[in-house]
Amino acid sequence: MPPKDSLARYRRWYRQLLRLYPRAFRERFAEGMEQTFHDLCRERASAGQSLFGFALRTFFETSAGIVKENSSHFITQHKNICRIAIGTGLVLLIPLVAMLVSDEWNWDPFDFLFMGALLFGTGLTYELVAPRGGTFAYRAAVAIACATGLFIIWVNAAVGIIGDEELANAMFFGVIVMGFLGACRARFHPRGMARTLLWTAAAQTLVPLIALTWVPEADFAPGVVPVMRLNMVFAVLWIISALLFRCSATPPAKSPQIEPAPSP
Amino acid sequence: MAVSQPNPPLTPAVLHILLALASGERHGYAIMKQVEADSQGKVKMGPGTLYGSIGRMIDAGLIRESDKKVDPNMDDERRVYYKITALGQKTLAAELQRYREVVAVAKRLAPIQLAPHALCHAT
Repeated sequence: MPPKDSLARYRRWYRQLLRLYPRAFRERFAEGMEQTFHDLCRERASAGQSLFGFALRTFFETSAGIVKENSSHFITQHKNICRIAIGTGLVLLIPLVAMLVSDEWNWDPFDFLFMGALLFGTGLTYELVAPRGGTFAYRAAVAIACATGLFIIWVNAAVGIIGDEELANAMFFGVIVMGFLGACRARFHPRGMARTLLWTAAAQTLVPLIALTWVPEADFAPGVVPVMRLNMVFAVLWIISALLFRCSATPPAKSPQIEPAPSP
Repeated sequence: MAVSQPNPPLTPAVLHILLALASGERHGYAIMKQVEADSQGKVKMGPGTLYGSIGRMIDAGLIRESDKKVDPNMDDERRVYYKITALGQKTLAAELQRYREVVAVAKRLAPIQLAPHALCHAT
């Protein structure tokens, strides 16, 4: 029969392993699991059976339980992030399948990585900011702002809004950064967000005008008017988002109170 | 035709734990030994599987923690005992009824399934 210190050693190692369970599970069941393991070890020791193989199998079995509980815990705690990751994966399936059936799509691994990061980042931004408002108008405003930012970055990175001119197109990224910093400064409060997005719309409108004036070598392919038109679409989206933030900041109108008649 | 199932089938681990607790409250080690005895050694679960199932069963309301007390047959360590709830008893009864229905269907079908084999052997 193995000495008592051998049983104590296995029990101690098992106790260390149990620390890998999520905290809530550990607080409920670690003591019971440790006692059960010790009981099983004692039973085997009494029967003259080897402890090493049994302990190894039990450690492996418990490790599988640890992975399962931690995965469930992570998914429960971060359900939204898991949903965003799954959504990103599903969207990226579109170009992947398109590449298999057509020669028009030709993405390299960096394109998938970039698009994946862009989609995931946009989704994550929405999930982190939208719950702060509590109203449908606020959530809609965040959704439109995030979608607008996504499209600007995507179009600019893919083909360039103002042709191939890097300096001119870099200004569009500057508009996004300006909007983000303004939102942080406003601490995502509705009124501050409305102001920030109006300034963002103004900056968006100015970018092609600045490019026309100060970047003469900028190539406005396919033409100045189409570029301006596309840019105005982005500016209008920023303005719509700003108006929705403004709506969410407005308290609901109070119903008129009927004053009681004065007592005689 | 789709049949709605208010009580989905139980996993083998959950079923055997409910069976073990149906005869009285037990602590983790006792549940494990009872399951092994009931299944004649066919169902063996380690502490990870057992307590993972216990956690889910408590959350589902099938069992609950009972007292923390000393098992007189073992050492003097105080152990948490688990007890089946009314919902657990109802769920167990429904599961056993499902098994009885399946066995009844199998018994009705068995003669029909045996007939072609009997014919082959006869020729």
